[in-house]
Amino acid sequence: MTTHFTGLDWGIVAVYVGATIAAGLYGRKFVGGISDFLVAGRELGTFIGIATLAATEIGTITFMYYAELGYKTGYASFVNGLIAGLVMIFIGRTGFIVKQMRALNLMTVPEFFEAKFSRKLRVLTGILVAVGGILNMGVFLKVEGTFLAIISGISLDHIKAVMTGILLLELVYTVLGGMVSIVITDFIQFVALSLGTILITLWSLQTAGVHAMYESVRTNLGAGGFSPLANTEYGWAFIIFQVLLWLAIHTCWQTTAMRTFSTRSPEVSKRVFSWAGFIFLGRGMMPMIWGIAALALLGPNQNSLEAMPRMLAGILPSGILGLVVAGMLAATMSVNSSYLLAWSSIISQDIMLPLRRKPLSSRQQVLLNRAANVFVSIFVLFWGLWYTLPGPTYFYLNITGSIYLSGTLIAVIAGLFWKRATTLGGYCAMAGGAIASIGFFFFKVPASYAGLGSFAMAAAGMVLGSLASKEPVTTAVVNVTTT
Amino acid sequence: MDYWYYFWMANFVVAGSAFAVIAVIVLVRGIGDLRQMFSRLGEESHRRQS
Repeated sequence: MTTHFTGLDWGIVAVYVGATIAAGLYGRKFVGGISDFLVAGRELGTFIGIATLAATEIGTITFMYYAELGYKTGYASFVNGLIAGLVMIFIGRTGFIVKQMRALNLMTVPEFFEAKFSRKLRVLTGILVAVGGILNMGVFLKVEGTFLAIISGISLDHIKAVMTGILLLELVYTVLGGMVSIVITDFIQFVALSLGTILITLWSLQTAGVHAMYESVRTNLGAGGFSPLANTEYGWAFIIFQVLLWLAIHTCWQTTAMRTFSTRSPEVSKRVFSWAGFIFLGRGMMPMIWGIAALALLGPNQNSLEAMPRMLAGILPSGILGLVVAGMLAATMSVNSSYLLAWSSIISQDIMLPLRRKPLSSRQQVLLNRAANVFVSIFVLFWGLWYTLPGPTYFYLNITGSIYLSGTLIAVIAGLFWKRATTLGGYCAMAGGAIASIGFFFFKVPASYAGLGSFAMAAAGMVLGSLASKEPVTTAVVNVTTT
Repeated sequence: MDYWYYFWMANFVVAGSAFAVIAVIVLVRGIGDLRQMFSRLGEESHRRQS
């Protein structure tokens, strides 16, 4: 299929990008100190909270990996979206972890480790969070660039220049306005990406046909295209791993946690999660339907990651294509800017700051964060250009995320709810979780077993480490942040 | 196989509809939230300067 991308579409994209940058730059005038820069002064209400949370966690990368899963595993892939959404609704309804974490007035997740365990464990956690998070973000540019290259018809070499330009633009407003700028742009981006998502879904269903999609999955994938238990990519181990992983992502993933910390109160954060859970159901299932439509329209012999954008380039007319690409760029920019801020905040607040003997002023912390932003951008740019994914994108993201997520979730739960938890237990949990995850890279362990194993090892490490040590435990967690 | 198909399609319809409805609600009410955030941050900034 050839693309219908024309000058009209480029015009729509240019207007959108210009408006976003202007809105982002507007936010800088509200940044007075580090709490404005990292958590928008903790002034997020329910609806802007939903918008920024959804925009942050819905990117072109999200559409690409979920569509890839839809293309490869059919309707069975919906299990991923269902788990992500239901776990978030559960967290919102119960307030599990997020309510307690918000009440502590934190800015980063590792900060909890100093409050509950020790400063050194905070630094270790910060290093693991930064490594896992930045490796995770490292593939974003390449995958997003692939999407843009296919849909616009530009060569991948030229797209690298375009993606570099987009990253630089995101960097400018993130560095200047921090979370305030990100919240403003996220709102615009949420509107654009929602419109794009709904448009593509309707177009895909209409073009491919519901019945033809069903027949295509039945013919090409058999029972495994419908039942996650009959599909070799999934099964019970994968389902349990996904429940744990999403529990960890929604509570301890730095970009999501920053939204929790930015809300006005614990009650607002609960409401945000309850509503956003429904967005997360659609965030998964709609792109998966695009992948299934690509299977029906293009057949099973396409590159699985590229099938969805190839289909869109062929079925969407000029004008609509521009709106959709603007929506996808919206998704890209909102995710990348939030991730830049999140990982740079870890480097500055949880690695560099605790290691200094003399504390920095709030203004100096903002400057340090800005420098870390630039560092992360440079790394992501180079990693994105040469690294080749070892398997499906979704599983790479799962494993790089669980380098720290498994240990962090276990340590946070133990720190909040288990009085016997000790610092040694915290170290063992973080080490156990990271070792099992890194095993994926070196020993090619299947993703679900590596992931599940990392949670099991983290839990075992926390219990054994805590029982083996007798240090006095602080039961009252205090705020350690300089605001 | 068909049970799974109908189960997933029911989920898809609920998810898609909820996504669209919540997006509209957030669009309408999010503007108010943004204004309130600007107002409070502006007040805070003014207080710091004075």
